[in-house]
Amino acid sequence: MMREVYIIIFLPVIVGIILYAVPRKYFTAKGIVASLVAAVSLFYSCRLYFTDGGMMNLGLGQKFFSEGSQMHDLLVQAESFTMLNVDSLAKLIIIFVGLFTLLVSVYSIGYLLPRIRPRSFFTYVLITAGCSNGAVLADHMLLFIFFWGILGITLYKLIKGYNSVTAAAAKKTFILIGASDGIMILGLAILWRLGYPLSISAMSVPTTSLITVIAFVCLLIGAFTKAGAFPFHTWVPDYATHASASSSALMPASLDKLLGIYFLARLFNSMFIINDWITLAVLVIGVSTIIIAVMMALAQHDYKRLLGYHAVSQVGYMVTGFALGTPLGVAGGLFHMFNHALYKSGLFLAAGHVEKHTGKHNIEDLGGLSKVMPLTFFSSIIFALSISGIPPLNGFASKWLIYQGIVEFGQGSGIANQLWIVWLALTMFGSALTLASFIKFLSGIFMGPLNPTYKTLREKNYFMSIPQLVLAVICIGLGVFASGWVIPKVIQSVSGSFSYIGFWESSTVSLLVLISIILGLVFYLLLFKKNIRVEKPFILGEPNDTTSSFHAGEFFKTIWGNSFLNSMYKAAEKKYFDIYEISRGTVLGISKALSWLHLGVLPVYLIWIIAGLLVMFIIFL
Amino acid sequence: MAGHIFYFLIFPGLLFAGVGGGLLSWFDRKITARVQFRVGPPLLQPFYDFVKLMAKETIIPSNAAKTVFLLAPILAVAGACLSSVFILLPGFGISSGFRGDLVVVFYLLMVPSLAYIIGALASGNPIANLGASREMKLIIGYELSLLLVLAAIILKAGNTISLNEIIAVQQQQGAFIGSISGMLLFIVSMMCVQAKLAFVPFDIADAETEIAGGIFLEFSGFTLAMVKLAKYIMLLVLPSFVVVILLGGFRFEGIHILWSVLKLLGVVLLITLVRNTNPRLTIGQSMRFFFIWMNLFAIIAIVLAYFGY
Repeated sequence: MMREVYIIIFLPVIVGIILYAVPRKYFTAKGIVASLVAAVSLFYSCRLYFTDGGMMNLGLGQKFFSEGSQMHDLLVQAESFTMLNVDSLAKLIIIFVGLFTLLVSVYSIGYLLPRIRPRSFFTYVLITAGCSNGAVLADHMLLFIFFWGILGITLYKLIKGYNSVTAAAAKKTFILIGASDGIMILGLAILWRLGYPLSISAMSVPTTSLITVIAFVCLLIGAFTKAGAFPFHTWVPDYATHASASSSALMPASLDKLLGIYFLARLFNSMFIINDWITLAVLVIGVSTIIIAVMMALAQHDYKRLLGYHAVSQVGYMVTGFALGTPLGVAGGLFHMFNHALYKSGLFLAAGHVEKHTGKHNIEDLGGLSKVMPLTFFSSIIFALSISGIPPLNGFASKWLIYQGIVEFGQGSGIANQLWIVWLALTMFGSALTLASFIKFLSGIFMGPLNPTYKTLREKNYFMSIPQLVLAVICIGLGVFASGWVIPKVIQSVSGSFSYIGFWESSTVSLLVLISIILGLVFYLLLFKKNIRVEKPFILGEPNDTTSSFHAGEFFKTIWGNSFLNSMYKAAEKKYFDIYEISRGTVLGISKALSWLHLGVLPVYLIWIIAGLLVMFIIFL
Repeated sequence: MAGHIFYFLIFPGLLFAGVGGGLLSWFDRKITARVQFRVGPPLLQPFYDFVKLMAKETIIPSNAAKTVFLLAPILAVAGACLSSVFILLPGFGISSGFRGDLVVVFYLLMVPSLAYIIGALASGNPIANLGASREMKLIIGYELSLLLVLAAIILKAGNTISLNEIIAVQQQQGAFIGSISGMLLFIVSMMCVQAKLAFVPFDIADAETEIAGGIFLEFSGFTLAMVKLAKYIMLLVLPSFVVVILLGGFRFEGIHILWSVLKLLGVVLLITLVRNTNPRLTIGQSMRFFFIWMNLFAIIAIVLAYFGY
């Protein structure tokens, strides 16, 4: 077990640092090395999954320093800080960290053009992988926050600021993530001062007094900012719009979700004892994240930004699942976290592929790409149907668990339990809106008439296609075997066992869908082959082979008309609700007010000093 | 496994639902004809239509995404058959075979509409695109109302999402429609069914006189036959769903057989009458209708149900 842990944490970091010294022109070679390291790390993650797990010590002192040396003694004394907890949740997350690092590394070899390529991309990818593994395994909060903090820096380094807009997005990400890390440390300081142990497995803090609730909220802000839940989500859409698709696929779409939700799971299930009001508040945040972000997604034109808002919206389902606190809800949240990471990073990879081939960012400028990019189209359809929760794909299976969790939760007597209908209706309605915006994504990019300039495009870059197809196959697989194998064998080992209150036999239904498709194809091939003809479409009485289409991007606007919602959209586009803009405005406003006092006239400063002295006299005498 | 395939393809899946839906479609057309003082089609007309379409040539538009365009109608039929299995097996009181719950049924009922939308978008025809966008907007409109109805049913049945238990509760305490909240829910669910079937006043997506069949514009021959089949099945499935969740389900013993058939025919008759006495709404009107009025009705029903009315 020791060896596996060492390899998955330190090997990527060390190789990453070595790659930093390799010149830029060996980009492909660096990519291949990074992919190999990621593959090795994934292999050892899988081996770790089949060990017993349990608590262990990183044991740096004994491992690297001879006995009796000063460093050895120092590290041995500090051993309580380097405890690791290899439990079933951590083991499962680590496999996914390895998988995404591998797929994104392979994809990036084919994808990253020099213009959007961040400096030393693979270095930061590998450091991210190693530190994510470290953060997930860490048992002591200080070790955890050490790894967690490094992830904020690599996130910042994985977006290239090549003009003022992208630089602003990078800065916003860095400030929001950094500020949330600071708030988390404040929460830890409170717990430390109150005398609670800081190791995750030993912590069980009641949320009965105000001060522990404050500590809880501080830590929760950290988890929410990392995962991108409302109202700390605002960095995610900006990051997704301006970063390269492989950075988005690696960080906001998968690893940040895995880590943020992992920490949320720890907060809810082991570190704190949650009271009713906190459950209510977090559920409200969960469902508002779903609805608000998906509404924003509907109005987007930039397809990467649309995906960014969905990366926020889906977090709402996970937050809702974990907030329910029942095994069914936790299992749903957990399963949805994995599913989301799979299809969302797949969607980002597909979007990157489209972007690389066409250079266009707006859905309106594209169309008809299904003819020239069939593999990307196929995988995008799988991802889009999966994220919209169409049975029998994996997105449906996890949402089904969450809905059941909500119905079961409604049998309780607390205030949050009594409102179960609200949670159920909003989470399910969010799913319909998700479908609507992915119809827009699919039809705008892949369907309709093809722009003649793209007629010569071919999907030849297998570095880019294969990771997408792998993700699509995993999405189908997790959906098909959801109720028979994935949920009982994998998810229940983490969430604790439970019994469903609904019925869903994913393999049977998948088989029936497969049978229908085969029957349909047989009909087409055998009976009607002679009877199929391809013709130009006929519009208004004339054959029409128009290259312009009725575009999917705009017509969703007519839904809202001139209503209240429309004005909310306008305000949101001006970033009135962005917590980053609000706090930036406040800070700049205060400093402006203070700068007004700095006249540079000496007597005025003297008057201030005397006035201050007087105030102190009045207070203290 | 063979049993599952039998349920799916023969009874109560493809064959049964297709034939039953075809007969209901005749019923609908006959009533419509009588309302308009016409004679109406013979009993087997829906099946003649189907067979004729099967033999006709299938035309694919040149700028269509061909695979998806051809697969969409098949997925529509598959989704319709699956929902018919999941609704009718508990509805007929058959406890063997595979089971689904209310959440599964809700999602499966969305699949045919989704398949039409994807097929229409894949056809590459701007007018079909327009129809697809209208259908999507209509889905956003009625989905929340239908959800609230289902939530109210779950509440009335005592936090269960199993269709078997919902029917069992109704057979013990009387059908849900017997209460004030049940009547409100019946109204809302009928409107949702009307919209899901794309009947007037909600035939916005295929409005023949306006956008020439919109969402179904490019389907022809075999693909159109599949669309027709999916629509027949849905014409059986959706009214049966209303019967199952609000009218106490079906029973097949003695006089109850007659009642069961009458319940189903009654629901279809109501749908037909609404369709024949109303003009088509604009998309804005129908969105407002669902978002404001139907949701309000459903919420009132939930509050009433919460206090036991």
